[in-house]
Amino acid sequence: MSLWVDKYRPRTLDDLHYHPDLSQRLKSLAATGDFPHMLFYGPSGAGKKTRIACTLRQLFGTGAEKIKIDQRVFMTPSKRKLDVNIVQSNYHIEITPSDVGIYDRVVIQEILKEIAQTQQVDLNAKQRFKVVIINEADSLTRDAQAALRRTMEKYMSNMRLILCANSTSKLIAPIKSRCLLMRVAAPDDEEMLAVLEHVAKKEKFHLPEEAATGIINDAQGNLRKALLVLEALKMQSPDLTSNITIAKPDWETYCSKVADMIVREQSPDKVLEVRAKLYELLAHCIPPTTILKTIAYCVAEKSDEAIRADIMHWAAIYEVRMRIGSKKIFHLEAWVVKVMSLTKHHYHGISLSDDE
Amino acid sequence: MTSKVGSSKQKAIEITSPPKAKPKPKSSAASRPPPSDSDEDMEEARIAKANLTKAAKRKSVASSDDEEEEEIAPPKKKAAVAKPRKSSPKPDPKAKPSASSKPKAGPSSSKTKAPAKTSKKSADDDFIDDGDDDEEEEKKPKPAQPDKKQNWAAVKAAQMARNATGGGNAGGSGGTKAIPDGEPNCLAGLTFVFTGELPSFSRDEAQDAAKRFGGRVTGAPSAKTSYVVVGENAGPKKLQTIKDKGLKMVDEDGFLNLIATRKGVMDAATIAKMEKEQEKIRKDAKEMEMREKAAAKGAQKGGVGVAKVVDPRSQLWTQKYAPQSLKEICGNKGQVEKLSNWLAAWEKSRQSGFKKPGKDAMGTSRAVLISGPPGIGKTTSAHLVAKLNGYTPIEVNASDARNKKLIENSTNITNRSLDGWLGGDKATNVAGVEINGRPVLIMDEVDGMSAGDRGGVGALNALIKKTEIPIICIANDRNLPKMKPLQSTTFALTFKRPTAAEVRSRLQTIAFKEKLKASAAALDALAQGSNSDIRQILNMMSTWKLSNDSIDFDQSKDLAAANEKHSIMTPFVIADKLLGPYTFSNTSRMTLGDKMDLYFHDFSLVPLMIQENYLKTTPRKLTGLQGHELALKSLEILDEAASAISDGDLVDAMIHSPEQHWSLMPLHAVHSTVRPAAQMYGGCQAFGPGPKVMSFPSWLGQNSKQTKLKRQLGDIQIRMRLKVTGDKEEIRQQYIPSLFPALVQPLIDRGSDAVPEVIEVMDEYFLSKEEWDYLVELGVGDRNDEATLKKIPTAVKTAFTRKYNSSDHPVAFHKATLFGTKAKAIAAGPAPDVEDAYDVEDESLAVEADENDDEENEDISKDKLIKESKPKKATGKAPAKGKPKAQR
Repeated sequence: MSLWVDKYRPRTLDDLHYHPDLSQRLKSLAATGDFPHMLFYGPSGAGKKTRIACTLRQLFGTGAEKIKIDQRVFMTPSKRKLDVNIVQSNYHIEITPSDVGIYDRVVIQEILKEIAQTQQVDLNAKQRFKVVIINEADSLTRDAQAALRRTMEKYMSNMRLILCANSTSKLIAPIKSRCLLMRVAAPDDEEMLAVLEHVAKKEKFHLPEEAATGIINDAQGNLRKALLVLEALKMQSPDLTSNITIAKPDWETYCSKVADMIVREQSPDKVLEVRAKLYELLAHCIPPTTILKTIAYCVAEKSDEAIRADIMHWAAIYEVRMRIGSKKIFHLEAWVVKVMSLTKHHYHGISLSDDE
Repeated sequence: MTSKVGSSKQKAIEITSPPKAKPKPKSSAASRPPPSDSDEDMEEARIAKANLTKAAKRKSVASSDDEEEEEIAPPKKKAAVAKPRKSSPKPDPKAKPSASSKPKAGPSSSKTKAPAKTSKKSADDDFIDDGDDDEEEEKKPKPAQPDKKQNWAAVKAAQMARNATGGGNAGGSGGTKAIPDGEPNCLAGLTFVFTGELPSFSRDEAQDAAKRFGGRVTGAPSAKTSYVVVGENAGPKKLQTIKDKGLKMVDEDGFLNLIATRKGVMDAATIAKMEKEQEKIRKDAKEMEMREKAAAKGAQKGGVGVAKVVDPRSQLWTQKYAPQSLKEICGNKGQVEKLSNWLAAWEKSRQSGFKKPGKDAMGTSRAVLISGPPGIGKTTSAHLVAKLNGYTPIEVNASDARNKKLIENSTNITNRSLDGWLGGDKATNVAGVEINGRPVLIMDEVDGMSAGDRGGVGALNALIKKTEIPIICIANDRNLPKMKPLQSTTFALTFKRPTAAEVRSRLQTIAFKEKLKASAAALDALAQGSNSDIRQILNMMSTWKLSNDSIDFDQSKDLAAANEKHSIMTPFVIADKLLGPYTFSNTSRMTLGDKMDLYFHDFSLVPLMIQENYLKTTPRKLTGLQGHELALKSLEILDEAASAISDGDLVDAMIHSPEQHWSLMPLHAVHSTVRPAAQMYGGCQAFGPGPKVMSFPSWLGQNSKQTKLKRQLGDIQIRMRLKVTGDKEEIRQQYIPSLFPALVQPLIDRGSDAVPEVIEVMDEYFLSKEEWDYLVELGVGDRNDEATLKKIPTAVKTAFTRKYNSSDHPVAFHKATLFGTKAKAIAAGPAPDVEDAYDVEDESLAVEADENDDEENEDISKDKLIKESKPKKATGKAPAKGKPKAQR
């Protein structure tokens, strides 16, 4: 059994539940045969990949849905082997260059060249071009982005690029200007409710309004999360009516524990303990920005009104530093210390005035 | 208004420029005309004035110098000079250094800033605000000043600046005193013990001062101690002993007073002792001379063949004064004696089959291994002992090839030279040593047997086991892994560095003979500075003698410092130094540059060490604080340190970016290492149990763990990709928590019954058992892998594994490597900015490619030159069962 989120994924542009204008535009683009390079961007769980898949189907027919995975091995100059996973159908190919870190430029060039140099051999194919999907385009290095510019123009005749990113801020302007930008916004509450109800109907159960609002609030625009939570809840209590609590994922609970530690006691020893916990989170592949964000919200919630703004201010500053810097833990720790110092000072500020 | 300020400021620049030029003339050139090279770009009128000022300064007495400067440079004085004067009224002796220091203190700050200023207000503000910067900058000139006196003054100035700007909040009046100019040898015959922390000098400085004026410094108080100099926080136990013994105690001021006022009077006993020493030196020197003469005579008589005796004047001191008898060897007397006894008894031992241990238990060894640091006479002793025992030393050292083959054939051991036969009646080898059929093999620098001498150590060891002649092996470090075979077959003799006292008399003799005037303290300083490396001391002395006829304490200290062998410290030592109480203490004389140097000992590890351990110190800055003040201040300095480390990482990211800003390394040193350490310095537990012990950076371990788990997450993601669109982060954050109830929880709750169900879900997402393990491993908190796996009974786990392995499963794809797919080498292409980054690796690749070429000629895919145009090899396509033509 698949999870619902995968089971009920829309397959065609017509099946999509929200953003009808976007679907319409994609449809007409696919129909013209003058398909541009595209950049899909939007928060995770909004439906970017789903829309890309639907568009491919619109372009090439069901053949684009028959995908397989291929693994290429590259050897770096320092003799390290890099595995690059490639998802492909007869009509398109999908790569995630962030897998190979700083070597993304060479790897992309290698793969793109290979595709671009061969023409579509399938005479029945609807389109003469192939599509290359680049996932996590916002984590491409500068070098790789710069290298893409030329490629995008040079191989336009038999290749189209679809970039998929969370935000465009990390993409260089030349790339953006060569693409048709497609913003896939997160669904609003009503749209999400519609989807949840659609799934409930398909699964033949009734979704109480209460539960639905709870889920939607928790998901914060991430439809994937909403559907996963819905399924989890359904497994937990089949009728979905009793007082249900949405279980937080393991890492979120862990983050709130860290926040508790920060609020409860502020000392060098505690910083050491927090550091150990942060390492644990980082090592288990929780992105540092997510950690910072989650902990910051928790800490702010538990702290006094007066210092909340400061806590968020510093969180923002250290998030920037984290993105620029290389060793994330240093910045996380600096933020933790800063918050501890703020809390302590605030606390003593209060107690001093009480004494007087 | 502005113009006036401007001009006066320019004068200030003039005044402050001399130090830049000063190192050139040095102390001896005081009478030469003032140098004008630094003034080229200035207007002539001002050049004249500046030179005049300089000249005046050289001639005039300290106090008038001081006044003159005040007249000329009012704005500068206001900022940097006036403050210290106000804050600490000084007694007479201090006036001089402070005055002469001023030109030094000013230059960097005022020089760099002045040109940019336009209005008086901004200029003045800046000077005052930047007090802290001044402190650091002012310290910098120190290492560049070769002249000792001025150097001293520079440090003084730096400290005054520090006090003035409130930098020294812990030490009160710290660092405002100067050591007065006492009479030379005014402390002669006195023995000092220093205890506790002196308010204005570091321990080393105070001890140096005592030595400079002829005093003796010992570590622990005894009956012979004349004075105990007591500082703050002296140990109670030490104080008790001092009281018990009734020793005289003085504080810092008393000590300085002693130097300033005491006349170098010595009691009769001391004088007698000194005379005795002198007498001995003279005798030894005479002996030496006689020997030289005899040798010279022998040489003249010898005629054609004997070219061995060289003119002593053309010899290096190290050769000239190599010990000729056992008693001339400095230190390690016992060891040398043992060696001599062993060699003397060797023949006897051999006859008894190396069965009788003998007196020193050395009779069972056919060979000895001498180990010890360089320059303490290991080789000399071995040669001397051999010669005195009537053996012919045959030395094989690192300049000879010593590989397995050569040693096994032992060609050079019985080798005799025709050399001696030409000259006369006795057979000698090339080294001029008589060949008498009793050779001893001296294997020098055994630990230097490396790549070129493959198998050398093993062969040597085999030789030692059956040797019919004594073998003396010499090495620096006995404990190296490659020396292991020798440890069981040789008798270990460890030579230690001789103490300064052991070296002193020999050095005095040599100095006397070479007519170099050197005090005992000066020679001791040399010995100490070079860690008793006698060879180095002699080399230093002979070099010094070329230009000078005498050497005093300070000069010898400088000389030793200039010849200091730079050793690389281990990261732990560096971290301990940085976070320890001394480097940043008030009396520390380390400049910013010195502190940054610590970073450069190991620039990749030191910042990590600091980051790992900065939370574990007991910061000095918190001493005396209590209650919430302590807590607040503690967090404040923590905050400073943490944000400095964060800054450091930003710099580090720039250094390691594709642009490779390696020139930012000094900045990185400051941010990542010096700044945090400056905040958090204090005690740090170096070893032992407990959470506060300095530890190795956990970042490295955590980072590799992260890399590993990331790869595993990637494996999960790509398998699920056929079903799921999410990227890795989404998989980790949303799917894994959601899949946990379907994949793991049933096994915990229902045991083996749930296995088919779990496997069904796994198959649905193309996950194999391997990925199931990864998935468990990725959990945190309550769901961490250890806790989770503990909850599943072992029986269920095995049932799960067995069940999974017994059935077929859909596979998303097969690893490319399973089919022997060749990896395609990616070259660093023509990205102009990153060339540097790949250079080194590229070269190694080229070399390796060449090597490969020789070995496997048919495999041209590995050839770097061909690979570019070669079409990529097809990678393993996933065939076989359950090929996932996903049905979406």
